[in-house]
Amino acid sequence: MRDFWKDLDTQRRVVGALLVREIYTRFGREGLGFGWILLEPLIFAIPVLLVWSVVRNPYEHGVPLIPFLWSGYLPLLLFRHVGARMLLFVRVNAGLLYHRQVTIFDVFVARSLLEVISNLSAVAASFALFYGLGWVDLPYNLPMFYLGYFFTIWWSLAVGLIIGGLSERTEWVEKLWQPYSYLYIFFSGFFVMATWLPEGIRRWALLQPSLQAYEMIRAGMLGNYVKTYYDPAYTSLVLAVLTLIGLLLMRESRKYVVAE
Amino acid sequence: MIRAIDVTKAYHVEGRLHRAVNGVSFTVSRGEKLALIGHNGAGKSTLIRLLGGVELPTSGIIEQTMSVSWPLALQGGFQGSLTGNDNIRFIARIYDKPFADIKAYVEDFAELGKFLSEPVKIYSIGMRARFAFALSLAIDFDCYLIDEIIAAGDQRFQRRSHEELFEKRADRSMILASHMGEMIKSYCSRALVMHHGRGNLFDDIDLALRVYNDL
Repeated sequence: MRDFWKDLDTQRRVVGALLVREIYTRFGREGLGFGWILLEPLIFAIPVLLVWSVVRNPYEHGVPLIPFLWSGYLPLLLFRHVGARMLLFVRVNAGLLYHRQVTIFDVFVARSLLEVISNLSAVAASFALFYGLGWVDLPYNLPMFYLGYFFTIWWSLAVGLIIGGLSERTEWVEKLWQPYSYLYIFFSGFFVMATWLPEGIRRWALLQPSLQAYEMIRAGMLGNYVKTYYDPAYTSLVLAVLTLIGLLLMRESRKYVVAE
Repeated sequence: MIRAIDVTKAYHVEGRLHRAVNGVSFTVSRGEKLALIGHNGAGKSTLIRLLGGVELPTSGIIEQTMSVSWPLALQGGFQGSLTGNDNIRFIARIYDKPFADIKAYVEDFAELGKFLSEPVKIYSIGMRARFAFALSLAIDFDCYLIDEIIAAGDQRFQRRSHEELFEKRADRSMILASHMGEMIKSYCSRALVMHHGRGNLFDDIDLALRVYNDL
């Protein structure tokens, strides 16, 4: 038991050190530095949201457009950024494995933590901005919104683990990720709500954890405007299985690492 | 103590399995200094990376009951885009040592002056050697894994390394990969001569060097 606490303390220290290192290497130490953590996703999100809201009608299928896009785009950013950061991440960080208390899992935790913190700050900041402008209302059901976002994070990390582990084995993963992460816009649930789909297709579409998470976010965000479909128990089960597969793949990939 | 039992590391080279280290066994006790001798590509650096836990063996077992340094080599162990100071901070943090002490030691030993606030990637090989060596001495291990790096430094660095590692820390163990016969003769008591991934252990250093020269 004592060893367990000692190990946990070591891991906490290592993850902390990796996090600081990741911030320095990614954002540098001059200029805005850490401020980029917030600004980076916002620079992505705000122009896209503005353009969309100008081009499209204010209501789509009876759904207010800006809250719909806002709640769609930020989860998409998280998913795509986590994926991109995890491609070949074992290989890229092989240098860190020179220090034996640094495990590949610590590197994964530090990297994903930074992505999640960055994304959540952007969620908060962009919400405050849009709310100030009167473009979005407070979520109809805040706990449901949080639950949906929790599943979004879990889904992004589970996929990150899997493609992180698989990309060390075959170059196919790296090549397929780009088209996949574009097409993801269309089938993830960003643009489509389950209720708009014909019943036959809806049942199949709802097998996707991403659509489940989006439905929960929309239920929390929009409430009465739309009918939503979701099953947190099913989503948890699928994500637990995906996480387990991802962890095994990542452990396996350690064998293939060739240090510089 | 470090014990390697039948350690093998295989890579795929041109579609075929290549055993860079092939069934190597040996033991290094506390205070013992073991030399790794062999031509380029004989498997010395791979063996050192396996002992340091950087890569995992394909088969075989590596046991250790003492703290073992990371491999002190001409590459690896640092983040090139970060400054010397940031690397010190990172390493002090993960090894749970006070940053100020480690930094003071590195400043004194590595003599890098203002270069400590520059990215490590601009360091010359000699500077890098001094930096890596100073940091690992400051962290203080029971056993040092040294892959050629002492030879990269100048006379002054070699003299100071000798003082620090062989006089002040004579009770520490060391595994030293080197081509320098003189250095091996004066420091090591045993040698593992490596050839095509295989290893032969010698208690007589002169004999080991003769065997190596005849390979």
